[in-house]
Amino acid sequence: MARTGVKQSSWIGRVFFADLLAGLRLTLGYMMSKTVTHHYPDHEKWVPYQRHRGHHFMNTNEAGEVNCVACGLCSKICPCNCITVIPFENDQGDRRPKVFDIDLARCLYCGLCEDACPADAIKLGQEYEVSTTNRATLKVHLEDLIAAPRKSEDGGDIKPAKLDSAGSQHSILRPESDAGRDWWSRVRRD
Amino acid sequence: MEYVLSLAPLFIKMAIVVGILLLLPLPLTWLERKIAAHIQQRPGPMRVGWHGLLQPLADAIKLLTKEDHIPAQADRMLFAIAPVVALVPPFLVFVAIPFGEPVQIFGTTVTLSLADLNVGLLFILAASGIGVFGTILAGWASNSKYAVLGSLRSIAQMISYEIPMGFSVIGVVMLANSMQLSQIVAAQEGLWNIVVQPIGFFVFFVAGLAEAQRIPFDLPEAEGDLGAGYHTEYSGIRFSLFMLAEYLVLVFLAFLNVLLFFGGWLGGPAFLPPFLWLFIKVGFFIWVFMWLRFTFPRYRYDQLMTIGWKVLLPLSLLNILVSGFLML
Ligand code: SF4
Ligand code: SF4
Repeated sequence: MARTGVKQSSWIGRVFFADLLAGLRLTLGYMMSKTVTHHYPDHEKWVPYQRHRGHHFMNTNEAGEVNCVACGLCSKICPCNCITVIPFENDQGDRRPKVFDIDLARCLYCGLCEDACPADAIKLGQEYEVSTTNRATLKVHLEDLIAAPRKSEDGGDIKPAKLDSAGSQHSILRPESDAGRDWWSRVRRD
Repeated sequence: MEYVLSLAPLFIKMAIVVGILLLLPLPLTWLERKIAAHIQQRPGPMRVGWHGLLQPLADAIKLLTKEDHIPAQADRMLFAIAPVVALVPPFLVFVAIPFGEPVQIFGTTVTLSLADLNVGLLFILAASGIGVFGTILAGWASNSKYAVLGSLRSIAQMISYEIPMGFSVIGVVMLANSMQLSQIVAAQEGLWNIVVQPIGFFVFFVAGLAEAQRIPFDLPEAEGDLGAGYHTEYSGIRFSLFMLAEYLVLVFLAFLNVLLFFGGWLGGPAFLPPFLWLFIKVGFFIWVFMWLRFTFPRYRYDQLMTIGWKVLLPLSLLNILVSGFLML
């Protein structure tokens, strides 16, 4: 839009600084447009798309048992070597994990474990606030993975949110309502 | 006693002007950061106070509590006085700037200026010219390559810009038949000088940007290529003196632009006191300066000299010639 109208050859344009004026018009337009900054963590929070690779969780079947068959493929493929799987045989004769630990301090959230899993067990969700001051809490166990939230239905927009530090050592933002705003609509592409 | 009483209004006015000038950089830094941010589609400072309004205070506290460092083998005395040399001229300049016509307060007539000199314009140009010595001394005394380069540039810049700047106001002086700023404003009753002196305004505006060392002519401090130019080695309170001087030069240039070319306090709506109308215009110019700063890249050293000598100087001479013919 504003970058047009400046012809290199036109000396009239050069005399009246058409190029400088075009620049000024562009920045004026930007000055008047809305900002694109997320007001995180004060008022807003970005809820990622469903494809986002965030926190790990473990799927369970209808009977409430974990899907995992402790095949160990995820721990083999993990580039950071951060998954520990120790199998055992339960009462029904199924192979299940006795220990399933993920060391999030080393995880790079590549999602390869999710891809490798033949049993639709280990998955990556949309939560990304896992920072902590205690490294020990970054080792998540099977119970934590089962209890972790699943993928949320929506995503890809900014939701009103506020800091909630009560009852947990993480400061987690909780979306207060479902009305998100589309962040991309404010990004100028001219 | 009589004598002292007659001096009292002067001292009160002085205290007010100095107080305002010392505090002015606080809102101006906030404004500058906000304008920079919004041009880049950011909100700028948001967390200290409402929309970051208290951010400048936090910055000031930080600056004042920083270590006051003087580099090894620097010329300690020059290093110490350079910020003061840079700071005094902008204050000096405000002595001669009128803020409005005399007003009646409690039955006495109070002039809205510290001293409406009859050579006001000359005094202002001369006093503001001293400011560059602060830059030169700072660069020289710092014992640092970047700082010396910065002050070398500022010398070249001063030579190429002071002359067109002086010439560009001659047209205005010819129109008003006076160098007194209040007379110049009064001469613009009905028709602002910008209409009859567009070339003069252009030259003055561009030369003023160079004088204030602002982008696109901020060569002496060029963060990109010189670290911070002449004040690379300064820290803490001495650095903040330089910043203060820089913002005051900005304000006084906005004042001069308005007084010389945009009718000063004339032409405002009836319900506004004239001095408020003046401040609105000045605010507009400050905003324009900041807008320019975050739009343009920096000119190169030789381009700057070229613009000064080959464009602005002939233009200002032409302006004098044309206004002379028109007045005859
Ligand atoms: S996401 Fe990647 S790094 Fe993290 S546990 Fe899975 S495979 Fe390992
Ligand atoms: S999570 Fe999947 S890949 Fe990993 S051990 Fe269990 S079944 Fe195998």
